[in-house]
Amino acid sequence: MSKTPILEIKDLHATAGGKEILRGINLTVYPGEVHAIMGPNGSGKSTLAQVIAGRDLYGVTSGEVLYEGDDLLTLAPEERAQRGIFLAFQYPVEIPGVSNLYFLKAALNAIRKRKGEPEVDAMDFLSLVRRKMALMEMEESLLNRAVNAGFSGGEKKRNEIFQMAVLEPRLAVLDETDSGLDIDALKIVSNGVNTLRGPDRAIVVVTHYQRLLNHIVPDYVHVLAQGRIVKSGGKSLALELEESGYAGIEELAEAVR
Amino acid sequence: MKNTSSSVEHEASTSKIGEDQIFYCRQRGISTEDAVGMIVNGFCKEVFRELPMEFAVEAQKLLGVSLEGSVG
Repeated sequence: MSKTPILEIKDLHATAGGKEILRGINLTVYPGEVHAIMGPNGSGKSTLAQVIAGRDLYGVTSGEVLYEGDDLLTLAPEERAQRGIFLAFQYPVEIPGVSNLYFLKAALNAIRKRKGEPEVDAMDFLSLVRRKMALMEMEESLLNRAVNAGFSGGEKKRNEIFQMAVLEPRLAVLDETDSGLDIDALKIVSNGVNTLRGPDRAIVVVTHYQRLLNHIVPDYVHVLAQGRIVKSGGKSLALELEESGYAGIEELAEAVR
Repeated sequence: MKNTSSSVEHEASTSKIGEDQIFYCRQRGISTEDAVGMIVNGFCKEVFRELPMEFAVEAQKLLGVSLEGSVG
Protein backbone atom coordinates (compact mmCIF):
# COMPACT_ATOMS: atom_id res chain seq x y z
CA MET A 1 0.00 0.00 0.00
CA SER A 2 1.55 3.28 -1.01
CA LYS A 3 -0.02 6.56 -0.06
CA THR A 4 1.05 9.97 -1.26
CA PRO A 5 2.57 11.88 1.63
CA ILE A 6 0.59 14.94 2.65
CA LEU A 7 3.85 16.79 3.11
CA GLU A 8 7.28 16.05 1.73
CA ILE A 9 10.18 18.36 2.45
CA LYS A 10 13.44 17.65 0.65
CA ASP A 11 16.70 19.34 1.55
CA LEU A 12 15.02 22.65 2.29
CA HIS A 13 17.23 25.69 2.77
CA ALA A 14 15.77 29.05 3.74
CA THR A 15 17.15 32.40 4.78
CA ALA A 16 15.86 35.48 6.55
CA GLY A 17 17.62 38.82 6.51
CA GLY A 18 20.49 37.26 4.61
CA LYS A 19 21.07 34.64 7.29
CA GLU A 20 20.55 30.95 6.56
CA ILE A 21 18.09 29.50 9.07
CA LEU A 22 16.99 26.22 7.52
CA ARG A 23 19.98 24.22 6.40
CA GLY A 24 18.65 21.16 4.70
CA ILE A 25 15.39 19.97 6.22
CA ASN A 26 14.08 16.56 5.22
CA LEU A 27 10.67 15.49 6.45
CA THR A 28 7.90 13.23 5.18
CA VAL A 29 4.44 13.25 6.73
CA TYR A 30 1.81 10.71 5.69
CA PRO A 31 -1.96 11.06 6.15
CA GLY A 32 -3.05 10.14 9.66
CA GLU A 33 0.26 11.03 11.26
CA VAL A 34 1.15 13.49 13.98
CA HIS A 35 4.74 14.72 13.94
CA ALA A 36 6.36 16.82 16.63
CA ILE A 37 9.21 19.19 15.86
CA MET A 38 11.17 20.11 18.95
CA GLY A 39 14.26 22.19 19.36
CA PRO A 40 16.04 24.92 21.27
CA ASN A 41 15.36 28.59 20.63
CA GLY A 42 16.82 29.74 17.35
CA SER A 43 16.80 26.24 15.87
CA GLY A 44 14.46 27.27 13.06
CA LYS A 45 11.24 25.62 14.27
CA SER A 46 9.00 28.63 13.70
CA THR A 47 10.77 29.42 10.44
CA LEU A 48 9.90 25.96 9.18
CA ALA A 49 6.25 26.47 10.13
CA GLN A 50 6.12 29.84 8.40
CA VAL A 51 7.88 28.63 5.25
CA ILE A 52 5.22 25.91 4.93
CA ALA A 53 2.58 28.63 5.28
CA GLY A 54 4.30 30.79 2.69
CA ARG A 55 5.52 33.79 4.65
CA ASP A 56 7.68 35.75 2.23
CA LEU A 57 9.95 37.11 4.94
CA TYR A 58 11.79 33.85 4.44
CA GLY A 59 13.51 33.14 1.16
CA VAL A 60 13.77 29.53 0.10
CA THR A 61 17.17 29.15 -1.50
CA SER A 62 17.04 25.47 -2.40
CA GLY A 63 15.11 22.29 -1.83
CA GLU A 64 11.59 21.15 -2.44
CA VAL A 65 8.32 21.10 -0.57
CA LEU A 66 5.54 18.91 -1.94
CA TYR A 67 1.99 19.05 -0.64
CA GLU A 68 -0.03 16.02 -1.74
CA GLY A 69 2.54 15.51 -4.45
CA ASP A 70 2.34 19.06 -5.84
CA ASP A 71 4.95 21.80 -5.62
CA LEU A 72 3.93 23.94 -2.65
CA LEU A 73 6.54 26.67 -2.97
CA THR A 74 4.97 28.14 -6.12
CA LEU A 75 1.64 28.65 -4.37
CA ALA A 76 0.56 31.89 -2.69
CA PRO A 77 -0.33 31.67 1.02
CA GLU A 78 -4.06 31.88 0.35
CA GLU A 79 -3.82 29.12 -2.26
CA ARG A 80 -2.09 26.90 0.28
CA ALA A 81 -4.80 27.65 2.83
CA GLN A 82 -7.58 26.99 0.33
CA ARG A 83 -6.01 23.60 -0.40
CA GLY A 84 -6.21 22.75 3.30
CA ILE A 85 -3.07 24.00 5.03
CA PHE A 86 -3.63 25.71 8.36
CA LEU A 87 -1.03 27.44 10.52
CA ALA A 88 -1.84 28.06 14.17
CA PHE A 89 0.27 31.17 14.71
CA GLN A 90 2.72 31.59 17.54
CA TYR A 91 1.71 35.24 17.87
CA PRO A 92 -1.79 35.70 16.42
CA VAL A 93 -2.47 39.29 15.38
CA GLU A 94 -5.45 41.44 16.24
CA ILE A 95 -7.70 42.79 13.51
CA PRO A 96 -9.66 45.75 14.93
CA GLY A 97 -13.19 46.23 13.69
CA VAL A 98 -13.44 42.79 12.06
CA SER A 99 -15.47 40.33 14.10
CA ASN A 100 -14.29 36.77 14.71
CA LEU A 101 -17.52 35.53 13.16
CA TYR A 102 -17.17 37.61 10.00
CA PHE A 103 -13.49 36.71 9.61
CA LEU A 104 -14.07 33.00 10.00
CA LYS A 105 -17.00 32.98 7.60
CA ALA A 106 -14.86 34.77 4.99
CA ALA A 107 -12.14 32.15 5.49
CA LEU A 108 -14.53 29.22 5.23
CA ASN A 109 -16.18 30.66 2.13
CA ALA A 110 -12.80 31.20 0.46
CA ILE A 111 -12.03 27.51 0.96
CA ARG A 112 -15.49 26.46 -0.21
CA LYS A 113 -15.24 28.68 -3.29
CA ARG A 114 -12.07 26.93 -4.38
CA LYS A 115 -13.84 23.60 -4.05
CA GLY A 116 -16.68 24.92 -6.18
CA GLU A 117 -19.09 24.88 -3.26
CA PRO A 118 -21.59 27.68 -2.61
CA GLU A 119 -21.15 30.03 0.34
CA VAL A 120 -22.03 28.45 3.64
CA ASP A 121 -25.63 28.85 4.76
CA ALA A 122 -25.86 31.37 7.62
CA MET A 123 -27.75 29.07 9.96
CA ASP A 124 -25.51 26.09 9.25
CA PHE A 125 -22.46 28.25 9.88
CA LEU A 126 -23.80 29.54 13.17
CA SER A 127 -24.56 26.08 14.43
CA LEU A 128 -21.13 24.79 13.29
CA VAL A 129 -19.43 27.65 15.05
CA ARG A 130 -21.45 27.12 18.22
CA ARG A 131 -20.42 23.47 18.35
CA LYS A 132 -16.75 24.35 17.98
CA MET A 133 -17.00 27.19 20.53
CA ALA A 134 -18.40 24.64 23.00
CA LEU A 135 -15.54 22.26 22.15
CA MET A 136 -13.01 24.99 22.90
CA GLU A 137 -14.96 26.15 25.96
CA MET A 138 -15.17 29.66 24.59
CA GLU A 139 -18.00 32.08 25.27
CA GLU A 140 -20.25 32.85 22.32
CA SER A 141 -19.95 36.57 22.97
CA LEU A 142 -16.37 36.33 21.67
CA LEU A 143 -17.77 35.76 18.18
CA ASN A 144 -18.84 39.38 17.93
CA ARG A 145 -15.59 40.77 19.29
CA ALA A 146 -12.90 41.83 16.86
CA VAL A 147 -10.42 39.11 15.90
CA ASN A 148 -8.15 38.51 18.92
CA ALA A 149 -8.88 42.03 20.20
CA GLY A 150 -8.29 42.22 23.93
CA PHE A 151 -7.64 38.46 24.05
CA SER A 152 -5.03 37.21 26.46
CA GLY A 153 -2.18 35.16 25.00
CA GLY A 154 -3.91 31.95 26.05
CA GLU A 155 -7.24 33.05 24.57
CA LYS A 156 -5.54 33.86 21.27
CA LYS A 157 -4.08 30.36 21.14
CA ARG A 158 -7.48 28.87 21.90
CA ASN A 159 -8.95 31.02 19.14
CA GLU A 160 -6.40 29.59 16.71
CA ILE A 161 -7.51 26.04 17.48
CA PHE A 162 -11.16 27.09 17.36
CA GLN A 163 -10.59 28.44 13.85
CA MET A 164 -8.78 25.24 12.94
CA ALA A 165 -11.71 23.17 14.20
CA VAL A 166 -14.10 25.14 11.98
CA LEU A 167 -11.91 25.09 8.87
CA GLU A 168 -10.98 21.40 9.19
CA PRO A 169 -7.63 21.55 7.37
CA ARG A 170 -5.87 18.61 5.80
CA LEU A 171 -2.50 19.71 7.18
CA ALA A 172 -2.40 21.61 10.45
CA VAL A 173 0.88 23.16 11.57
CA LEU A 174 0.87 24.33 15.17
CA ASP A 175 3.58 26.87 15.90
CA GLU A 176 4.33 26.75 19.63
CA THR A 177 0.64 26.63 20.40
CA ASP A 178 1.46 25.62 23.97
CA SER A 179 3.56 28.66 24.86
CA GLY A 180 1.86 30.81 27.47
CA LEU A 181 -0.84 28.28 28.30
CA ASP A 182 -1.71 27.14 31.79
CA ILE A 183 -2.56 23.47 32.27
CA ASP A 184 -6.31 23.95 31.87
CA ALA A 185 -5.97 25.87 28.61
CA LEU A 186 -3.41 23.31 27.45
CA LYS A 187 -5.91 20.49 27.96
CA ILE A 188 -8.67 22.33 26.12
CA VAL A 189 -6.38 23.19 23.21
CA SER A 190 -5.01 19.64 23.06
CA ASN A 191 -8.50 18.21 23.10
CA GLY A 192 -9.42 20.47 20.19
CA VAL A 193 -6.38 19.32 18.23
CA ASN A 194 -6.97 15.66 19.01
CA THR A 195 -10.54 15.97 17.74
CA LEU A 196 -9.07 16.87 14.36
CA ARG A 197 -6.93 13.73 14.16
CA GLY A 198 -8.01 11.35 11.46
CA PRO A 199 -6.79 9.02 8.70
CA ASP A 200 -6.97 11.73 6.04
CA ARG A 201 -5.25 14.48 8.01
CA ALA A 202 -1.79 15.27 9.26
CA ILE A 203 -0.65 17.47 12.11
CA VAL A 204 2.79 18.96 12.67
CA VAL A 205 3.28 20.22 16.21
CA VAL A 206 6.15 22.65 16.74
CA THR A 207 7.03 22.92 20.40
CA HIS A 208 9.87 23.70 22.73
CA TYR A 209 8.55 21.72 25.65
CA GLN A 210 7.65 18.09 26.04
CA ARG A 211 4.59 18.83 28.19
CA LEU A 212 2.23 19.41 25.26
CA LEU A 213 3.13 16.01 23.85
CA ASN A 214 1.65 14.27 26.88
CA HIS A 215 -1.70 15.56 25.61
CA ILE A 216 -1.14 15.54 21.85
CA VAL A 217 0.75 12.27 21.58
CA PRO A 218 2.90 12.26 18.44
CA ASP A 219 3.71 9.35 16.17
CA TYR A 220 7.13 10.80 15.41
CA VAL A 221 9.38 13.30 17.12
CA HIS A 222 12.08 15.24 15.27
CA VAL A 223 14.66 17.38 16.94
CA LEU A 224 15.71 20.53 15.11
CA ALA A 225 18.94 22.26 15.91
CA GLN A 226 20.75 24.93 13.90
CA GLY A 227 18.42 24.52 10.98
CA ARG A 228 18.62 20.74 10.59
CA ILE A 229 16.76 17.76 11.95
CA VAL A 230 19.50 16.04 13.93
CA LYS A 231 17.51 13.26 15.50
CA SER A 232 14.20 11.51 14.89
CA GLY A 233 12.34 8.92 16.85
CA GLY A 234 9.06 7.92 18.40
CA LYS A 235 7.26 9.68 21.21
CA SER A 236 9.78 8.44 23.78
CA LEU A 237 12.36 10.75 22.22
CA ALA A 238 10.44 13.70 23.65
CA LEU A 239 10.70 12.22 27.14
CA GLU A 240 14.44 11.58 26.69
CA LEU A 241 14.86 15.22 25.69
CA GLU A 242 12.99 16.42 28.70
CA GLU A 243 15.33 14.53 30.96
CA SER A 244 18.56 15.42 29.23
CA GLY A 245 17.67 18.89 27.96
CA TYR A 246 18.84 20.37 24.67
CA ALA A 247 22.55 20.54 25.55
CA GLY A 248 23.35 17.16 24.03
CA ILE A 249 21.41 18.13 20.91
CA GLU A 250 23.40 21.32 20.40
CA GLU A 251 26.59 19.26 20.54
CA LEU A 252 25.15 16.91 17.97
CA ALA A 253 24.27 19.86 15.75
CA GLU A 254 27.80 21.22 15.98
CA ALA A 255 29.22 17.82 15.10
CA VAL A 256 27.23 17.57 11.85
CA ARG A 257 27.88 21.12 10.66
CA MET B 1 -12.03 53.24 24.06
CA LYS B 2 -8.54 53.19 25.40
CA ASN B 3 -7.98 50.11 23.27
CA THR B 4 -9.01 52.02 20.16
CA SER B 5 -6.62 54.92 20.67
CA SER B 6 -3.69 52.63 21.29
CA SER B 7 -4.53 50.69 18.16
CA VAL B 8 -4.55 53.96 16.19
CA GLU B 9 -1.07 54.71 17.51
CA HIS B 10 0.09 51.31 16.35
CA GLU B 11 -1.30 51.80 12.87
CA ALA B 12 0.33 55.19 12.60
CA SER B 13 3.72 54.01 13.76
CA THR B 14 4.27 50.82 11.83
CA SER B 15 3.28 49.20 8.59
CA LYS B 16 4.54 45.86 9.82
CA ILE B 17 1.34 45.35 11.77
CA GLY B 18 -0.58 45.74 8.52
CA GLU B 19 1.68 43.15 6.90
CA ASP B 20 1.18 40.69 9.72
CA GLN B 21 -2.57 41.17 9.53
CA ILE B 22 -2.62 40.65 5.79
CA PHE B 23 -0.56 37.47 6.07
CA TYR B 24 -2.87 36.21 8.82
CA CYS B 25 -5.85 36.69 6.51
CA ARG B 26 -4.06 35.07 3.57
CA GLN B 27 -3.16 32.08 5.69
CA ARG B 28 -6.88 31.67 6.29
CA GLY B 29 -7.55 31.57 2.55
CA ILE B 30 -8.46 35.23 2.06
CA SER B 31 -6.83 36.99 -0.92
CA THR B 32 -4.61 40.02 -0.36
CA GLU B 33 -7.19 42.28 -1.98
CA ASP B 34 -10.04 41.04 0.19
CA ALA B 35 -7.79 41.14 3.25
CA VAL B 36 -6.79 44.76 2.73
CA GLY B 37 -10.44 45.75 2.18
CA MET B 38 -11.50 43.93 5.32
CA ILE B 39 -8.70 45.35 7.47
CA VAL B 40 -9.15 48.94 6.28
CA ASN B 41 -12.91 48.67 6.70
CA GLY B 42 -12.44 47.37 10.22
CA PHE B 43 -9.92 50.05 11.09
CA CYS B 44 -12.20 52.82 9.80
CA LYS B 45 -15.12 51.47 11.79
CA GLU B 46 -13.08 51.61 14.96
CA VAL B 47 -12.08 55.20 14.23
CA PHE B 48 -15.62 56.26 13.36
CA ARG B 49 -16.86 54.90 16.66
CA GLU B 50 -14.93 57.69 18.32
CA LEU B 51 -16.55 60.41 16.23
CA PRO B 52 -19.72 62.27 17.14
CA MET B 53 -22.67 60.51 15.52
CA GLU B 54 -23.34 63.01 12.71
CA PHE B 55 -19.71 62.93 11.53
CA ALA B 56 -19.57 59.17 11.78
CA VAL B 57 -22.60 58.77 9.53
CA GLU B 58 -21.18 61.15 6.90
CA ALA B 59 -17.74 59.60 7.06
CA GLN B 60 -19.21 56.15 6.57
CA LYS B 61 -21.12 57.32 3.51
CA LEU B 62 -18.13 59.10 2.02
CA LEU B 63 -15.77 56.17 2.39
CA GLY B 64 -18.34 53.54 1.54
CA VAL B 65 -17.52 51.66 4.71
CA SER B 66 -19.62 48.55 4.82
CA LEU B 67 -21.71 47.75 7.86
CA GLU B 68 -21.04 44.03 7.45
CA GLY B 69 -18.90 42.36 10.04
CA SER B 70 -19.69 45.18 12.41
CA VAL B 71 -18.18 44.90 15.86
CA GLY B 72 -20.05 45.63 19.06
